[in-house]
Amino acid sequence: MGVIEVRGLAKSYRVYQKREGLLASLRGLFHREYREVRAVRGIDLTVDQGEFVAFLGPNGAGKTTTLKLLSGVISPSGGSATVLGHVPWKRENAYRRRFALVMGQKNQLWWDLPAQESFRLHQQIYRIEPEAFQRSLRELTELLGVGRLLAQPVRELSLGERMKMELTAALLHSPDVLFLDEPTIGLDVVAQHNIQQFLKFYQEKRQITILLTSHYMKDVAALCKRVVIIAQGAIKYDGSLSGILDRFSGHKVITLLFAEDQPVEDLERFGTLLEIQPPKARLRVPRGEVARILAAILSRHTIADVAVEDPPLEEVIAEMFSQVDVESPPGESAAAGLQHR
Amino acid sequence: MREQSLNEQPSYVQVFLTFARNSLVRDMTFRANFVIQCISSISWTAMNVGLYVLIFSHTQQIGPGTGWAKHEFFVFLGTTMLVNSLVQTFFMPNAEEFSELIRTGGLDFALLKPIDTQFLISLQRVDWSSLSNLLAGVALIAYSLAHLMTRSVNPLPLSPWSLPLFLLYVLCGVAIMYSLMLSLAATSIWLGRNQTLYNFWFYITNFARYPMEIYGDWLSPLRILFTFIVPVLVVVNVPARVLAQPLYPERSLDWWLAVFALVATIGCLLASRYIFQRALRAYRSASS
Repeated sequence: MGVIEVRGLAKSYRVYQKREGLLASLRGLFHREYREVRAVRGIDLTVDQGEFVAFLGPNGAGKTTTLKLLSGVISPSGGSATVLGHVPWKRENAYRRRFALVMGQKNQLWWDLPAQESFRLHQQIYRIEPEAFQRSLRELTELLGVGRLLAQPVRELSLGERMKMELTAALLHSPDVLFLDEPTIGLDVVAQHNIQQFLKFYQEKRQITILLTSHYMKDVAALCKRVVIIAQGAIKYDGSLSGILDRFSGHKVITLLFAEDQPVEDLERFGTLLEIQPPKARLRVPRGEVARILAAILSRHTIADVAVEDPPLEEVIAEMFSQVDVESPPGESAAAGLQHR
Repeated sequence: MREQSLNEQPSYVQVFLTFARNSLVRDMTFRANFVIQCISSISWTAMNVGLYVLIFSHTQQIGPGTGWAKHEFFVFLGTTMLVNSLVQTFFMPNAEEFSELIRTGGLDFALLKPIDTQFLISLQRVDWSSLSNLLAGVALIAYSLAHLMTRSVNPLPLSPWSLPLFLLYVLCGVAIMYSLMLSLAATSIWLGRNQTLYNFWFYITNFARYPMEIYGDWLSPLRILFTFIVPVLVVVNVPARVLAQPLYPERSLDWWLAVFALVATIGCLLASRYIFQRALRAYRSASS
């Protein structure tokens, strides 16, 4: 029995279709057209204690909706889920004490007050013992390096500092399960890195269970061994990060450094040419033929250095998402889906 | 077992005190704004009082035989100010923010907290500047009562029970106003956004600001509507009558009204909680 058990979870809702133009708007007062949006379409998922799982997917894939279902903010239209043995949307206090949700695009701290005032409020709402509260607060602010900012109004903090405060607020009550919805969105590289390091350290030390959604592949690569890819409300892949390449990318990238004074030419027949910047060239070749092609190139050209790499993960995943779109046009899938469940 | 279930609930009093404290800290950050708000709400009240002083320079009382002469009515007016300022201090800023929370999806965070959501939504903010009107109301009531009790003709008798009863019914009145406000604000969950329905609160509660006699006798439709369907007429009328027109046992109608006010308060609180819970179940959360 995992910490998170999800079976056939589905969520759909109706949205009002607004037509263009004044006349159509007036007509909309009397006769409304709705479109059924099926944000999540029957997800099965089991996450064990201490796992750090990444949710990947294009915008509107259903990642955030899933996190909201699991944190009990919204109720599903079908299926079941338990987290720590509780049904999230029953919103029991016993469950709400044991998890936290952090959303990169929303803030829950009092805007005009120093963060420490919001923290004190959390202490009371979660009933954290004073010693435990002080200990957690010291630990978190030291790890995140925001101790000196505690007395500064939140509105005067930078985006990165504010995110660190949000994380502190979410972790004060030492949750067993943490949901992170794009925690590094909009942050600079340094702040992103800080937060990654913090999450990695904290998760390893506490062995808590974390579900993360992010658009930054660096977050995912640095933190998660397991990746779940969601597109159009359904799980398309569940496994290791490297497994994505094996499964979805049939290619490797060969980088060649030509010896001095050697012409960089005549490469098209070996594979797809990605770029040429003499004395450097990059080629994309089918995975199974790397050895044969490399041998052929080396026999014809004088090469100073060579590297064989997997294509960047972003590209593979972007390619995969675009394939998904081609496979089933949105209109069709929505109609088919209505009968499906 | 008992210990455990006790531990599940936060201390609501303590949390509320922290809300109040944090709001005060924030108000003090914007001192000038705070002072201006105090001044503007006091001057609004002063103008209101001025208007009635003007009216009473033309007439002796509101309607013959109703007993609402100048100073009795000023007790009534002071009670209105008291109820309004309590509602404005503790509930109005929260109701205003509620539809905003729904529109922006900020309600998500409220739903995550291990605390009663209605409590959190209703009391998060306290608008301390509105308390200035409370002082003005108390002053007006004290002045008018002193006048009524010391006048040579027919001085007003006041029993030791009057004050506690008055306070009880002021709280009932605040509870009814709050219930109405919460119910209207909660509908914005269904409608996505509804400033209009929230404004409705102001239209309806306007009826609470006058002695019920002005709407006619018991059988007048307005009076029935605003006593039994939407009981805003008991909000100010009952506490004001406790002070300015002490309830006499022989006037059975008033006793009956006082009991009804208690029933109406409980009914309103239960109804608003039911509406709020139903609305929460329909919450969809704005996308991030």
